[in-house]
Amino acid sequence: MLRVHLLRAVLMMVIVTVVAGVAYPLLVTGIGIGLFPHQAEGSLLYRHGELVGSALIGQSFTTSDGTPLPQYFQPRPSAAGAGYDPTASGASNLGPSNPLLVGFIPGVTTYRQDASVAPVNPFATVADPFCVPTDPKGNPIVVVDPPAGQRYARTSQGGYVCDPNTIPERAIAYRQLNGLPTGSSVPVDAVTASGSGLDPDISVANALDQAPRVARARGMSLAYVDALVHRSTAGRSLGFLGEPGVNVVELNLALGRSTDSGGGR
Amino acid sequence: MTGWSWAQLGFVGLATAVLAPLGGKYLAAVFGPGKAPGDRFFDPFERLVFRVLRIDPRGEQRWTSYTGSVLAFGLVSLLVLYGILRLQGHLPFNPTGAPGMSPMLAFNTAASFITGTNWQAYSGETQASYLAQMAGLVVAQFTAAAVGLAVALAVVRGIAGTARTVGNFWVDLTRSLTRVFLPISIVSALVLISQGAVQNFHGFRAATTLAGATQKIPGGPVSSMEVIKLLGTNGGSFYNAGGAHPFENPTGFTNLFDLLLVIVLPFAIALMFGRLIGKRRQGRALVATMAILFAAHTVVGMQAESHGNHLLPAGVSQQVTAESPGGNMEGKEVRFGPDGSALLTVGTMGTTAGATDSALDSYTPVGGTSALVAIVLGEVSPGGVGGGLYSILMFVLLAVFVSGLMVGRTPEFLGKKIRAREMKLVILYVLVVPVVVLGFGGASLVIGSASRAAGNPGFHGFSEIVYAFASAAANNGSAFGGLSANTAWYDTTLGIVMLVGRFAPIILAMAVAGSLAGARVHARTRATLDTSGPTFVVFLLGVIVIVGGLVYLPMLILGPIAERLVT
Repeated sequence: MLRVHLLRAVLMMVIVTVVAGVAYPLLVTGIGIGLFPHQAEGSLLYRHGELVGSALIGQSFTTSDGTPLPQYFQPRPSAAGAGYDPTASGASNLGPSNPLLVGFIPGVTTYRQDASVAPVNPFATVADPFCVPTDPKGNPIVVVDPPAGQRYARTSQGGYVCDPNTIPERAIAYRQLNGLPTGSSVPVDAVTASGSGLDPDISVANALDQAPRVARARGMSLAYVDALVHRSTAGRSLGFLGEPGVNVVELNLALGRSTDSGGGR
Repeated sequence: MTGWSWAQLGFVGLATAVLAPLGGKYLAAVFGPGKAPGDRFFDPFERLVFRVLRIDPRGEQRWTSYTGSVLAFGLVSLLVLYGILRLQGHLPFNPTGAPGMSPMLAFNTAASFITGTNWQAYSGETQASYLAQMAGLVVAQFTAAAVGLAVALAVVRGIAGTARTVGNFWVDLTRSLTRVFLPISIVSALVLISQGAVQNFHGFRAATTLAGATQKIPGGPVSSMEVIKLLGTNGGSFYNAGGAHPFENPTGFTNLFDLLLVIVLPFAIALMFGRLIGKRRQGRALVATMAILFAAHTVVGMQAESHGNHLLPAGVSQQVTAESPGGNMEGKEVRFGPDGSALLTVGTMGTTAGATDSALDSYTPVGGTSALVAIVLGEVSPGGVGGGLYSILMFVLLAVFVSGLMVGRTPEFLGKKIRAREMKLVILYVLVVPVVVLGFGGASLVIGSASRAAGNPGFHGFSEIVYAFASAAANNGSAFGGLSANTAWYDTTLGIVMLVGRFAPIILAMAVAGSLAGARVHARTRATLDTSGPTFVVFLLGVIVIVGGLVYLPMLILGPIAERLVT
């Protein structure tokens, strides 16, 4: 009896592999590419005939050392590889109370080595009371009572260098880049990493906060850049599903076209 | 939650209310006696399959033989998939150059996909070849779903039928593939592609970004896998980021379409049950129970995530406005927003899909709890394909027994007396999953290297570890992704837990069905408990919550509840 069961199982496996494992994906690919070639291939974007990316996959707009380029709208922080690396899609997976995400909050996330919590953050700086210090290689040190001999990175004034990837530090950097006053409100999507690490969108609030800086860097009028932002804003699907967002890749591509043609002044 | 989020939830409710009854009617026609729509088209192909397998489609099996077929098919699936994953580096159709998996990882992945768990300790982009994804993982996703549905059909025939046989496994398997999973998959895949999900056979394509860097744009037969991942309540994605990846889930519409692909079929199967036993009211009672649980954990999850993370500094605005989604956006995509993300992620936790579109590990403690609770309540909201039905039927038998004790009557369900033998099997069914979850979870906490694999400090790290075992045992497959799970310990133990969590409940549910098959059906009297009215629904909800709650409450307190209280 067992042999009959197993024989039938093997035969069934062969049939299903041919039908569902080979014929089915080939059929779907054939029809899919036939009906929706642009989407099936990955919504690819070209400039002067050269592949510049995909409308659905975000990109970094930084110099090779990671400094944001002011003439481009900046996407959200990314946990995919070194940032927007599609070979390593993924999220930060940092818990909501992880100091690497929220910084050292005194009495809450100021963990000691034994997992108890200290009442103060000894690394607080004037700019950032939640500072998580780094070692000279830039790695964050996530306990407030590190082992003896632990070395810290220092600024030229002798203060601690804070891990730039915590939300408090990202908020400070965002305000600096966009010339916003200290303590002003920062949209949450601008300081949090997405689930895929490839999110092509930012919120409208985030884009409008960046628009004056981009306009200045490109010598365009703010009204013109704001208009481009609104043109690159996709509403909710079918009018009510999901959230509106500004596609950063398409927006920056449109900005580039305007600059090339000397527009926007 | 804003009006927009309620609108999305309302859309899901409305679409399910329309589609599930249609699906239930169709399924009852396909799997009941008599003719079904599409016979002319499907019959010739099915007859060919039956001839190759040398089976008489009218020849029915006893529960032991049926279960034997299920296990034999599971064993062959496991070995074939293991072989493909080990050898993928030497096999063709590997444009991304994925090497063969290590023995431990291949075992874990094979166990994960043939059980419909789809726990992914590997990264799809770089560690699985296109051949392995298509001919290995996708095939397992189809068969795991079809096996689940087949077992549910056999359990229904045993519990309700008058014959001593429970149907023919090979017939149920074939018909659920040809008439349910393949046709719906083909159509739905095209819908996803039209929205921007990719479907091609390219490897990475090099692009020069606007800022002058190089970016590798991925490709692959993604939509065809995405659809059966959802429809079969499997949950395993082509890419590492899963449903958050823009090439899998490109718009707010696909996000909701994905959710419907997951939940409509399990609801339809419960309605099919009502039709097959000739008591449609009974099917509706099960659907009501499932829907109440679904709404409860989903709304709590959406509420918590749109409320945001209170530990962020005051200068970061989590306020929902017309120009910003607000809320807890760590690990979430702008196009879904916090409540759209929670709607899919927490919404599918009550099924065995566990199809996430956001990073559960970064959910607020309350949001994470809503996901974990959906899993530990036995995944009956609305449950996996087939698995949801036989799980809730076991709870129904338990509820019937408890209420029988309370009123002092012999417990009966569908006119059959529930005796000590069935109750013992049901209790084993209820206990087997908690035993492996708490056993292996506890062991992982005391083994130094295993507990250090947690990616977050404190109570959250505890949640990561126990979540992994709860998810594996319930064949859910979602993860608190910070856990470094590709280690010898986790690959092996989670692989074992997935196999136990799948096949032990199947064997026990089949044994219950076998025990009731052919039992005498008693006429209804005035003293018979009504198992399809609102009173019984409330009682059944109570049994589900108390059983799940009692077993797992200490675990929830030490994990997410403690995290919420101290931070």
